[in-house]
Amino acid sequence: MADQMEETISELVTASGIDLTQLDRTLLRPSPDVQGTTMDGETVLLDLSSGRYYTLNRLGSVIWEQCMKRQTLSAIHAVLCERFEVGAEQALDDMVALANELIQEGLLQQERR
Amino acid sequence: MDESCFSLYCNSERYTTGSPTLADPVNELLRHFRQDSLGVTAALTIQFYAVQNRADVPLTISSSACRLASGTGEAVGDRRATGLPYEVTQDQGILIVDFHRVGVLAIDGKQGHAKGYLINPEQLPATLVEYLFHLTLIELLRRCGLYTIHATALEHNGRAILIPGNSGRGKTTSFISLLRSGYRYLSDDHPLLQDSGAHVEVLPFPIRINVTDATVQFFPELRAASEQVLHPGVPKRFFYAEDLYPTAVGERCQPALVLFPHVVDSPQSHLELLPKSRALEALLPQALLVYDQEVARQEFKVLAKLVQQVDCYRLHFGRDILDLPKLITPLLEKRR
Repeated sequence: MADQMEETISELVTASGIDLTQLDRTLLRPSPDVQGTTMDGETVLLDLSSGRYYTLNRLGSVIWEQCMKRQTLSAIHAVLCERFEVGAEQALDDMVALANELIQEGLLQQERR
Repeated sequence: MDESCFSLYCNSERYTTGSPTLADPVNELLRHFRQDSLGVTAALTIQFYAVQNRADVPLTISSSACRLASGTGEAVGDRRATGLPYEVTQDQGILIVDFHRVGVLAIDGKQGHAKGYLINPEQLPATLVEYLFHLTLIELLRRCGLYTIHATALEHNGRAILIPGNSGRGKTTSFISLLRSGYRYLSDDHPLLQDSGAHVEVLPFPIRINVTDATVQFFPELRAASEQVLHPGVPKRFFYAEDLYPTAVGERCQPALVLFPHVVDSPQSHLELLPKSRALEALLPQALLVYDQEVARQEFKVLAKLVQQVDCYRLHFGRDILDLPKLITPLLEKRR
């Protein structure tokens, strides 16, 4: 039920880039056409619509894992700062760069609460 | 019409064709699975027809058909590139693979039926007929939970070793080096994989073994083999494992090792342990071609499960070709 409510109050964002002023309202969800698996800390993704596959490094894998848990970008940023020895600004840059790339590849969809 | 019956791991298959040119290569490919008759209605049926011209192919493609792929090389499945131009279309649930001047395949995976129309097949090499049949068969088997990868496979003491890779990377040479030391034969080019629940298993798909002249030179018994054993062929010669080595076809079993070979100019071979994500990344091009999303999703899961249950190595394959078992066997023994 909670999931259903969440669906009704969220909107799919069609703009391609992440809006840095909306991180606490923005979620990224994996495209339904993507099948993934994480092994040895890295994630291999298969885009079933194109047949292309991708490998995410450890940072990318944590971002992917948090997206699967439907976390906001603010929450994902906090997890990255906690798990990696990296400054908050660098973590934000890395997260946004990768998220934008995955959105562009059609692997993630952006959603706003 | 000639009819042949086969049983592939509980999947009964009936193949019919009116042309001996189209019957012989298939009977050769599936000789280990041949049955006198099927006591049940065949789960899978494949019919190949000989036609004179492209216009004789009785297939029309609807306006709602969706073109999935086109190009030159591998169209469906995992076999070595044929170099044929092809076009793949999905039309009302049927996969249509058009090889233009060679013929057309129409594969109805959900119903387990397929038809092939080959243009003047008497002018086609038997290996091409075999290829077209094999890719039809594996598209049907995928929907029955049997997948294949482009790899050689052997069994040793109940554990399988898979050696995937493209031609020229030492796949067949490493395979023969292990085979001659007593490993049992599972497949030269396309073993089957099945998820048995607790684990993925490798199933034998024994076929003749194709070798290049360069590979022949590495093995004294191949160099000395007569044409009755090492049969002439173009571009590769071939032999049957049982004609040359005291080996038998192995049993279905759990895999323990996956080796990704490449040839290095070094006196000794060595192994480099691969992270599992890298191994899966290397395995995917040897297996998956995505036409049916749900089938591809299941196949991806099986490949990921396979990688999780084995150790994967990059084999830097040096000049000590005949000594490869000394490097590999201890790894298999350790996994027991």
